[in-house]
Order: sequence, then C-alpha cells, then structure tokens
Amino acid sequence: MTQLIANIFITTLFYLLLANSFSLIYYPTKFFHIAHAVVITSAAYLTFLFANQLSLPFAVAVSAAIVGAVCIGLLCEILFYRPMRKRNAPALAYLIASIGLYTVLQNCISLLFGDDMKIIRTGQVTVGHEIFGAYISTIQITTMLVSVLLFIGINLFLQFTSVGKSVRAVSSNPNLCDIYGINSSRIILIAFGIGSALAALAGILSAMDTNLTPTFGFNLLLYGVVAMIVGGLGSTRGLVAGALLVATAQHLAAYYIDTKWMNGVTYIILILFLIWKPLGFSGVRLRKVEI
Amino acid sequence: MEYILHLFIFIVFYTLLAQSLNVSAGLTGLISLAHAGFYGIGAYTTAILSQQFHFPLWINLPIAMVVCLFVSLVVSLIALRTVNDYFIICTLGIQVVIFSLMNNWMGLTKGPLGISGIASVSLFGITFDHKISFLLLSLLFMVIVWYALNNLFNSAFGKTLLAISEDEIYAESIGKNVYQSKVVSFAISAVVAAIPGALYAHYISYIDPSSFTVTESIFILSIVIIGGMGNLTGSFLASTLMVVLPEILRFVGTPNNIAANVRQMIYGAILVLVMMSGSKGLGQFFTKMKSRIISSN
Repeated sequence: MTQLIANIFITTLFYLLLANSFSLIYYPTKFFHIAHAVVITSAAYLTFLFANQLSLPFAVAVSAAIVGAVCIGLLCEILFYRPMRKRNAPALAYLIASIGLYTVLQNCISLLFGDDMKIIRTGQVTVGHEIFGAYISTIQITTMLVSVLLFIGINLFLQFTSVGKSVRAVSSNPNLCDIYGINSSRIILIAFGIGSALAALAGILSAMDTNLTPTFGFNLLLYGVVAMIVGGLGSTRGLVAGALLVATAQHLAAYYIDTKWMNGVTYIILILFLIWKPLGFSGVRLRKVEI
Repeated sequence: MEYILHLFIFIVFYTLLAQSLNVSAGLTGLISLAHAGFYGIGAYTTAILSQQFHFPLWINLPIAMVVCLFVSLVVSLIALRTVNDYFIICTLGIQVVIFSLMNNWMGLTKGPLGISGIASVSLFGITFDHKISFLLLSLLFMVIVWYALNNLFNSAFGKTLLAISEDEIYAESIGKNVYQSKVVSFAISAVVAAIPGALYAHYISYIDPSSFTVTESIFILSIVIIGGMGNLTGSFLASTLMVVLPEILRFVGTPNNIAANVRQMIYGAILVLVMMSGSKGLGQFFTKMKSRIISSN
C-alpha cells in the first residue's frame, strides 16, 4: 500500500514535469505541438547514443542530449511553425503539420536506432532505498527532485522575470504584445527552448527508469496533455491536480484491474472531464466561441 | 498480376476510408482521428459474426454499419462538446480507447492474437475468393459510395455542412441546427467506414488490432488532406498515390522493415508540406489541370 502511494506520488510529479513542459509551449502558441513527443524521445536516444555507444561520461552525455533535443524543438519552431504563422495559417493547420512532423521524426529515430527496446546502462541495478516501507530507486528520487525544483523554478520565472512576464503577455494577447514592442516571435522561441529542455529531462529520466522505444514519447506526451486539459488551462494548481488525478487513476487501474488498461483509463478520464467538467479544475474556458 | 490486383483492392479500401472521412473532416470541418477505430469496429464486427455464426457479408455488413452508427452516436455525444484542437485530441483519445478495447478484451476480440479464419465472400453460389472478382465487388461498393457521397456533397444538407465548416455561428444564426448536422455528418462518416472494414475482414481473412492504430488514423487523415478537404476525386487520387508510392520503394530494393518507416516518413513529410504551403490538395490541382486542358482545346 505504501508502495502504491509512493508510486502515485512519483508519477504525479513526473506528469507534472511533462504537463509543465507542454503547457509552456501551448500557452503562447495556442496549438498542440505533437512533435514535442519527439523531443522527449530524441533526448533519451541521444543519451543512449552518447553514454552507451560513444561511452562519454554520463554528465556530458546528458547535457549533450538535452542540447540536441532542445535544438530539435527550436528547429521545429523556426523551420515550420514560424513560416506558417507569417502566412496566417488556420489554427488547425499547426496541429496537423505537427502530427506530420512527429511522424517524420519518429520514423527517423526508428531508422537510426531500430524499433527494438533499448536500455540506458547506469551501473548496476540496485533494489532502491527503503523509505516508510516503500522501495524507491535513485532515479525516482532524482525525478521527484528535478520535477519539484523545475516546477517551482518555472513558476517563479513566469511570475517575476521580465522574460517570464513576456511569455505570459504573449499567452494572453500576442497582437497587443507586438504593439507594445514585445517581440512575440522571440518570446515563443524562448518558450519552445525552455519547454523542450524540460521535455528532454523528462524523456531521459523516464528512459533511465524503464526503457526506451521510438514511440514512448508519444504516450508520455499525451499523459501530459491529458493532465493539462483535466487541470484546466492557465492554472498552476490545476496542473498539479490534473497530474495527480491521471497518476492516481493509472496506478489504481494497474493495481486493481490490469496494467494493460492504463492507457484506456487515462483517456476515459479525459473524456469524462470533457463531458462533465469541460473547463477543467480551474474553470478557464476552452471553447473558442461561446454564443 | 496478383500483386497488382492486391494493390488495386487496397486503393479501393483507402478511397472508401478517405471519402467517408471526407464527409466529417473535409465538408463539416470535424477533423477526426478516430476513423481507424470505426474501420476497426466494422472489421471486428464482421470477423466475429463470420467466425462465430458463419454469417455471409450481406448480413455482416448491415450489422457492422449499425454497430458503427451506435458507437458514432455515443462518440459524437462526447466529442462534439468540444471544438477545433480539442475535438482532435478528444477523437484521438477515443481512438486509443477503441484500440485498447480491441487489444485487451480477450474474450471478444482475442486481443493481439487477432481473429483468423474469416470466410471469403460468396453470393448466389459464386465465391469471391479470386482477386479479380473481389476487386470488382469492392469497386462496386466504391462506385455506390462515391455516387451517394457526391449527391450528399451537392445536396442542401451538404451545403449546410459546408456552411458549418466555414462559419458555425453564421450557420446557426440563419436557423440551421448546427449540432444535429454535425452529429449526422459524423455518423455518416462512421457508417461508411464500416464498409471497407467489412470488406477488409473478408478479404484478408485474418485481422488483428495492429491494423487499426492511431498511426492508421493519421494515415487516413493525411490521405484526405493530401487529396483536398471536401474533394472526393482528390481522395481517390491521394489514395492511389499513397498506396502506390511506397510500393515503388519495394522495387528500388529497400528492405521491408525500412520500407515501413520510409512510407510513414513520406506521408508525414507530404502532410507538413501541404499544411505549410496552404494548398488545397491534389483534387484542386487535378481540376485546375483539367480546366486548363479543356480551355487549351
């Protein structure tokens, strides 16, 4: 039982990191950047490449992987989304283009590394630390610390720094920002950079905890998206509540029914929320038009 | 020869799928990622009926269509509460739920093992087990569906759907029942998707959940987009292109495992390019060419 609670707690924090990384891009751009999943996956694969195949020191490998993944995120914005924004593409075009981008990049990873499961080696496997009767591995502790620190860090950044305030300004009205001299294009690029870095960390942490396949980022991304939608947009507390709900439901489903229903349960939560509480916990409207 | 016939049959399947999705995605603007789910429901209904009760296609197909109708009504109750991006994400969720039912409900669908031994189609003592006869049969379905959907597109109801995709509030303000029209168009899409599902099950005689994944949904959607939204001829041209293009890779000599990835990369890249250039797809291009040829004559 303590193990279950510990697992729920760890997963909640992990999903919080994912939801945070995705929402940071979603708020200013207002579209679902599905190719974000590739940023998650590529960070893990780059770590695998640098640490296992080129046997660089682990810290170097991780930093290089994060830099690489951030570059992918930034290139998506610079090469694809920005030209579309200049052309005033309809809102749905971004989502569809990003699905296309995801398909291309994910298959690149499949081609380069193969579709089989990979494991990042990090020394010998240990049982983990026993805390209140629950076994928690070092990676899980790292995940928790990183998630909490980054969550607090990002919120402070958005609240108090001038760049962070600009991100929030662009989120609420990009046109007005351009009038006031905030370069919305640059701010969006910064949001892409920070969001991708968070996603890269999440990808590496997840890959070290379990294993990696070319599609694992997609599921993780969707858990983050569900947590964000369930939590309601634009709310920090909502994000925490959303992550907690998704993690709890998944672990209870795995514990009482079967692990194979975890995905189904996640989406049933999403669907139930869209029926009964379409505005999420925070109550911010998500419909574009209300008559 | 067998191989070319096989390709033609798949072109017909994907044309049917893309044209049916075109009703909701192209005409009404309800871009759905759950289409492979409905395709799968059609196929699974047929497979189970055929294997358990030895029903022929002519009984399976209407039942599969009714099942798809019911599921689509339930789905539209849920999904149509949302608009735009959220609609896509919601249908994506529904696709994953349908897939996980197919993959995990061992009692009904046998999970990842799939259902095998589905009888081939027979009518009045003629068995459609030869590829040519099956191709003719599916072509017949394609012609009927094409004709019916073409009429739908040009009907008053079709114009209402088009109006909804262009300006929902305006359509509502001139007295159109937007919600009901959306439900009907979504249901038509799902019901028509049962046809290729049933045909696929009888043709392949073995189905498993891997044919009805999110990737398949994205593939069908990309055919619709590449062909042009709301353009039935475009859907046919794009299906032909998307089925034939990867086969060229096979002739170049790419190994099978790489070919699958390259195929997905091709349609992903085309999807990005179409979205970035803002073009109206192959169908539009074809109409332009045709009018140019006619005017030059």
